[in-house]
Amino acid sequence: MDESERDLSPTAQPDSYEAAVERLEEIIDRLDSGQSGLRETLDLCKEGRELVKYCAAELDEVGEGLKELRLDDLAARLESETT
Amino acid sequence: MEQPAQKQAGTGLPGPYAVGRYAGKLQEWMRERARVQLIGEVTGVGRSKVQAYFELRDADGAIPCAIWLNDLEKAGLSDGALRDGAEVVISGGLDYYPGGGQASPNFCFRATHVRLAGEGDLIARLDALRKQLRSEGLFELQKQLHRPRLPKAIGVVTAETGAARRDLLAGLRRRGWGGSVIWGFAPVQDRHAAPAIGRAVQDLAARPEVEAIVVTRGGGSLADLWAFCDETLCRTVAMLRVPVVSAVGHERDKTLIDDVAAVACSTPTHAAEAAVPLDCLAARESLERCAVALRRSGEGAIGTRSRHLGALARGPARALQRERTALNQKIREIRAASERGLSDRAASQKRIGDVVLERARNRAAGADMEKRRADLRRALVALRAHEPERTLERGYALVEGEGGEPLASAAEVSAEERISLRFSDGRVRARPEPDGAA
Repeated sequence: MDESERDLSPTAQPDSYEAAVERLEEIIDRLDSGQSGLRETLDLCKEGRELVKYCAAELDEVGEGLKELRLDDLAARLESETT
Repeated sequence: MEQPAQKQAGTGLPGPYAVGRYAGKLQEWMRERARVQLIGEVTGVGRSKVQAYFELRDADGAIPCAIWLNDLEKAGLSDGALRDGAEVVISGGLDYYPGGGQASPNFCFRATHVRLAGEGDLIARLDALRKQLRSEGLFELQKQLHRPRLPKAIGVVTAETGAARRDLLAGLRRRGWGGSVIWGFAPVQDRHAAPAIGRAVQDLAARPEVEAIVVTRGGGSLADLWAFCDETLCRTVAMLRVPVVSAVGHERDKTLIDDVAAVACSTPTHAAEAAVPLDCLAARESLERCAVALRRSGEGAIGTRSRHLGALARGPARALQRERTALNQKIREIRAASERGLSDRAASQKRIGDVVLERARNRAAGADMEKRRADLRRALVALRAHEPERTLERGYALVEGEGGEPLASAAEVSAEERISLRFSDGRVRARPEPDGAA
């Protein structure tokens, strides 16, 4: 396994949106380079699709309309729950 | 050494003195203290018939103050300028009213002059605070925190009714962000502001879902924004483990909280962009492009290779056809060459045969020539011996008809009207006569 392959080894589930996007950009760059073989290309495409799905889900979480909450209400709710 | 039980604590001190006399001495002593200027925020303003009183305070402490109304008038402040929340500079010194039989004693800082704190006064205080906090490394702590590009929830500390709230929401919506905003409403301009803001940021930071906190208010004078230069508040913000984005005042304003915050912005709109660095609308478009690029790469990789494989699969048949075509061409060329070769060879062989025959003929002719010549001479002699001319030379004559044909019998001669007698030296024409008539 050469250096580039080691750098591009698949990662586990990303822990943040930015980590997912960073990995996705790596994958696109690698694919655009045209240096990946068929097996690697298919693996990268599969991983990339998973990352796109993850990122889309993250965006969906903040895509349903802005929600406004009051700190006072949250504190009061927490207090009533504890009592 | 243990004191006797009947001896009470403090009984060894001077006195006892009459309290009124002591109070008078205390007043004298206080009035002898140095006269100074104090700067702070006015709170609890009240008036009697002869004086105005208030507290002057900052984050570290307070002192009761009073000013005679005639001194206040001389100060030339506009009506209502001496109000709660105003930053002022007072000049004066300590004073003590000892009270009387019916009046309560009262300690105060007796101001003889008062003016609203100017930018210069506040800037000097701010510079001192800034220097102190920087020397303690408090400006760097927030800047080292990780700021998520796509927080799900942010806390916001601002006035409930300010324009900053509306601008911040507009900025967030413009980025297509629809997460949760947890409002920690607090006063943003008076002596209650800094403690309230401090409590709000701490409460927000304590909530696990909050990934960033925005502290914002609209523009104003440095005195208006002074709560955001509060030392205690700024120390609190510096120590938070959640990144704080400050957007206090306008671009030219630089409060202390801007120094300690992770990011300082000039407007609430910019604060929205700093709190949610990811433009969600652009991110969705970018994600779509990534998805398309991945699809193309996958399909392209398979398509290219399948075309290559197809080409490889067709290769043998094509190579076979190519070989067959080449072979047919060779065959045609060989056939043509062969035909040309046969023809050439036949011609060549004919030439060779001719040459051989010629040579053989020449050879044969050369060998028998003399014999043949001898035979020929003998045949010629024999032939000449039989020639009619030889017979004629011996005296015989040849009878010929008018056409020159030889007449060999009497009957043939009798049938002719004219005949020719041929001798060796010439001809004689004659007319035969029938034998009976003679």
